[in-house]
Amino acid sequence: MWKSVIYKEWLKIRWFLAAFTVLGLIDVGYIFLKVRHEFTFSSGKDYWYSILFQRYRYFSFLKYLPLAGAVAVGLAQYLPEIINKRIKLTFHLPLKENKVLLMMHAFGTAGLLVSYLIILFAFWWLSKFFFTNEMITGAFVSVFPWFLAGLTAYFIIALIIFEPVWKYRIYYSLTGVFFLSIYLEPAVTGGYGPVNPVLFVLTGCLSIALIFSAYRFRKGEM
Amino acid sequence: MERISRYILVLVSAIAAAVVLPWLYRMTFDKPVHVPFVVYSCVNNDFMIQETENGKQERTDTHGNKYTREEYEQKLPLMYTRQLLTAGTMPDTINGTAIDMHELLKAKSVFYYKPEMMNTPHPELYPLFESESGRANLEMPDDFFRITWRMEFINAETNKIEEEKSRLFSVALYKKGFTFPSKLVAGIPTNRKSCDEGYFITDSADQLFHLKMMDGNPYVKKVDLPEGLKFRFINCVDFKDKKYYAYLFSEDNGIYILTQDEYELIKLPIEGFNPGNCDLRILGDIFYYNVIIRADDHLQVDVLNYSDYKKVDTYRKNWLTRSELPAGKIAAAIFPVQISMTDKNSNFINFYIEKPSGFAWIIVNLILAGIHLFVLLKRKTKISRHFFDLTVVTFTGFFGYIAVNLFQNKLFD
Repeated sequence: MWKSVIYKEWLKIRWFLAAFTVLGLIDVGYIFLKVRHEFTFSSGKDYWYSILFQRYRYFSFLKYLPLAGAVAVGLAQYLPEIINKRIKLTFHLPLKENKVLLMMHAFGTAGLLVSYLIILFAFWWLSKFFFTNEMITGAFVSVFPWFLAGLTAYFIIALIIFEPVWKYRIYYSLTGVFFLSIYLEPAVTGGYGPVNPVLFVLTGCLSIALIFSAYRFRKGEM
Repeated sequence: MERISRYILVLVSAIAAAVVLPWLYRMTFDKPVHVPFVVYSCVNNDFMIQETENGKQERTDTHGNKYTREEYEQKLPLMYTRQLLTAGTMPDTINGTAIDMHELLKAKSVFYYKPEMMNTPHPELYPLFESESGRANLEMPDDFFRITWRMEFINAETNKIEEEKSRLFSVALYKKGFTFPSKLVAGIPTNRKSCDEGYFITDSADQLFHLKMMDGNPYVKKVDLPEGLKFRFINCVDFKDKKYYAYLFSEDNGIYILTQDEYELIKLPIEGFNPGNCDLRILGDIFYYNVIIRADDHLQVDVLNYSDYKKVDTYRKNWLTRSELPAGKIAAAIFPVQISMTDKNSNFINFYIEKPSGFAWIIVNLILAGIHLFVLLKRKTKISRHFFDLTVVTFTGFFGYIAVNLFQNKLFD
């Protein structure tokens, strides 16, 4: 039974995940194509200087990528469930409702995490050729909240889609946008260092947000 | 599980509200503080004050005398030299001292510090220039150094460590008693300066060292410090008079200068400066240094002699802070806390929490909790099931009230 549920989720999101991962890798590839171009046409020392002392962020192209991927995967996974209230079929399975929901959610989260890790690994691997550990660490401290913003967006999208009342969907969307802005403040490289652990915990807490609106959905709140 | 999920949503949306609502409030109601520009006049030995009142610029001294723009500029001939030369009103002598334009330009200096220069992620890699290249212009080196368990130079083109150079400089530091790693590395990491004086570095034992590269070799000088003196920030300067290398801020908020070549550490007679939350400007000329400290609630200008750094005069002006103004007082009543992700004194993103100054917010919180209780009683629900909501509203006021109504508890009744 569980295998079937997971397979259903896989069918819904596989192409979106694959497309997002490819897009992410293209994005990373483009970033380092630009870096290599600058190293060739200018010089390594000037490029390092601009990163270290002129606040140039060579990785800024990654900023909204995790968010876009999470929105796409979230919509692909949960929109089909509420069209004609198809999720009710899942709820009728001889499985605990919350358990099924969390399984679906965990699968989507794991899929996104795998995509994120592939993109981040490519980013780290290519960074190693051009930059020192200090510079890579600074870049990772900066991109970390962007990837957390992606996961948070995925969790909030699930919450919004399962919410049965349109009025509340709008309220949740507004709250979500405000909350996401915390992760996407303009900051210097490494500026998110002190707050990243807190954002990580908040993101983790939000992972079960959909249980609330799914409960309202099951109870038929109007 | 549903309840836990709701509690999390309530807390997260309360946090979001505590960030967004005060920000919207500030955007709507905040008024700028017009800080006067105050400097000491070497002509009439008094402070000259330029400030904006009702959109109009006013220029006065501490005795209330008003000045026109031209009169004001004539009282500050070392600041408005070009203008006075253009107008033909530049004096030949000031207080009996003949003005030598060469000396005047040499002594002129401007230093500007903001707390965000200290509260920021530091680069950890720095270029070490060749101090005696024999070239007119400084050239950017191919490598950058870090000081961890040793001093390492990394070539930017190859991203590889230059072993020989790293060993040479590490040994030179070690021989002078440097305890790795470094705590502070301060220099002027640009080739747009008159000459290179390398870096001032504090080690893990808070000792201060001067390091530069001369003809490819390390120059290391340990600076004698008084017992227990520790620095929290060092800002190197490149002034024409070459009197000192840097301004150094100690952990007990003292401002020091380190004289060039003699390495004499001189404490400036300045009180009330905290590099964590005060802006600092030091304007130097042939007579005086104007040390201008701007805090959230006051401006302080200390005037020091150019020659011996002795204090000549002090000016201070206080004003009401944002939280003391009507808009701030209302905000303090409405919002139990104000969270901001940014701070003007720091480049770090964090949850900066501003606690309310008064107690009015407690009343507002209790009123909101009362309203929430009234609605629950009217709905004839079991109050014990809403204990969490009532607690949240009591402690977080508007933020909690919005959150508990956004994620309603109805279905759990």
